[in-house]
Amino acid sequence: MKKVIELENVTRLYRMGDESVYALRDVSLFVAEGSFTSIMGPSGSGKSTIMSIIGCLDVPTSGRVLIDGEDTSGMNENQLAYVRNRKIGFVFQHFSLLPKLSALENVEVPLLYAGVNPRERRKRAEAMLERVGLSDRMKHRPNELSGGQKQRVAIARALINNPAMILADEPTGALDSSTGHEVMDLFHSLNEEGSTIVFVTHDRSLASECSRIISIRDGRIEDDGF
Amino acid sequence: MMVSENIRMALRSMASSKMRTFLSLLGIVIGVASVVAIMNLGRSAAVSMSASFDAGGLNTITIRPRGNARETMVFTEDFSYTLQNEIEGIAEVLPLVSSSAIVRYRGEIAEGVGVQGVTSDYFASNSLEVEDGRFFTAMDNLSRRQVAVIGSELASDLFPAGNAVGSYISVMRNQARSFEVVGVLAEHDTSQGSSFDDVLFMPYNTYTERFRRTDQVGTYNIKTEDGYDAVAIADNIENYLDTLIGSDYYRLFSPATMKAMSDEITGTFTTFLAAIAAISLAVGGIGIMNIMLVSVSERTGEIGIRKALGAAPSVIRMQFLSESVVVSASGGLLGLVLGCVISVIGAHISGWVPSLSLGAITVAVAFPIFIGIFFGWYPAAKAARLQPMEALQRD
Repeated sequence: MKKVIELENVTRLYRMGDESVYALRDVSLFVAEGSFTSIMGPSGSGKSTIMSIIGCLDVPTSGRVLIDGEDTSGMNENQLAYVRNRKIGFVFQHFSLLPKLSALENVEVPLLYAGVNPRERRKRAEAMLERVGLSDRMKHRPNELSGGQKQRVAIARALINNPAMILADEPTGALDSSTGHEVMDLFHSLNEEGSTIVFVTHDRSLASECSRIISIRDGRIEDDGF
Repeated sequence: MMVSENIRMALRSMASSKMRTFLSLLGIVIGVASVVAIMNLGRSAAVSMSASFDAGGLNTITIRPRGNARETMVFTEDFSYTLQNEIEGIAEVLPLVSSSAIVRYRGEIAEGVGVQGVTSDYFASNSLEVEDGRFFTAMDNLSRRQVAVIGSELASDLFPAGNAVGSYISVMRNQARSFEVVGVLAEHDTSQGSSFDDVLFMPYNTYTERFRRTDQVGTYNIKTEDGYDAVAIADNIENYLDTLIGSDYYRLFSPATMKAMSDEITGTFTTFLAAIAAISLAVGGIGIMNIMLVSVSERTGEIGIRKALGAAPSVIRMQFLSESVVVSASGGLLGLVLGCVISVIGAHISGWVPSLSLGAITVAVAFPIFIGIFFGWYPAAKAARLQPMEALQRD
């Protein structure tokens, strides 16, 4: 079994004025390749911090983080940017599409930073939008798309560089329940095709759709789902 | 990532807030336009003035005795040779004496005619030609013959029926003397300075010994040799004369010297004005910096997303730096166009030849790029430094 994510004794300390607040305390966990895992916890439990650290958007105060077998501790900003670009496909609650770019151009952005030439970028982005069922919406801007369509664009963008995992933060949080189900179905079929998916959510019913639930509370693992 | 991608993104971002972009680059537009207009107009002025000095002949220098120069006893005909021997680079020195007189032929009278006593070299030196008859010769001069060569206008005044050559005219100053007309000048192109068409020429010696007794030359017309610097020669002559008799007894005219002075004055003036105008460019740069800072804080979310998708800090910095350079450079181009329009209109009003200063183009292109980098650096660095997580949360 290959471990896509490994956290070893990760602690994240925030300084707020004179006070230190532990967002994470000595967290160790791993996520296997091809799994569909959720990280669940109420707000303030530290799940957003875990997501940031797994996504290399933030670095731990102490402990080690291995992404796809590679130790990210001690990496500089450029190396972390590389890991985010190649290894991680983000899906955010509020889609986080670039509003001035078309669906197609939004999907191309990670390829741009990977140094892929314009022609190849266009070709791959078109194929990816087709795969998420948006072949007729490629030239539309985000404000011309429905919530579900926006999230599909975001998922296409997350997949475009063949990342080691999809890291999704409350991906259905801004969608109505039927659209939310459609998006969940898409995640399931992606997982069946082999993608590793990590979900961060506070919603127990959503988490229960995943094959493994890691519960977190007060910055500690409550249940690692095994 | 390629530069063209950055430029494309920058243009897009500019297009999305046209009014704001336009207002913020207005400072650069005005700054560049004024620098360009001033430099172009300065050049136009210099070119036009040069042209007027060129018409005077840049290889000529004239010396005129003045005041009580007679008491120095320097300005004799022989002094022509002295000058030529003492100063290097002089091709010729032609002495000239002149006054005015009444000239009569039978019933026709011309008053206030300029009478000039010149040596026979004078005609060739001024590229004059005879239409009829001949120039007088060195022999005419030596034997002080009373012969005259007259300008075309004077000829037609005195001889409405033609046949001037061979006729005897009377030249009156205090007393009347009879002169044989030996030649009539072809009409001369007067655009090149003085007119020769209404002048009467007689041999130098005839003038000084018969027509109007004098031992002082009126004007020395000096021509410099090709390949010599007329300004330096004029300086040398001045130094020579100042040591000899001081500066009070003569006046020296050198178109080349005046041109050099005028070029220097115009140049200094232009530089001075352009420097003042350049201050507005710096102010324009602050406008760019302001808009870039606004842009960075407005687009914090975008920066966060781009970073999450794998943009390294240097890539974000390049994006915003490109944007500020593109904004500022487009201001420069607009300013260049505006400045050229202003300078063409200005030159037209002043009657100068419109001209494009190479320096102005350089300023219009290079300065805004420099300003874009200089004033865009801090906002771009600020964008690059943003922590991706914080940037995302602020979205």
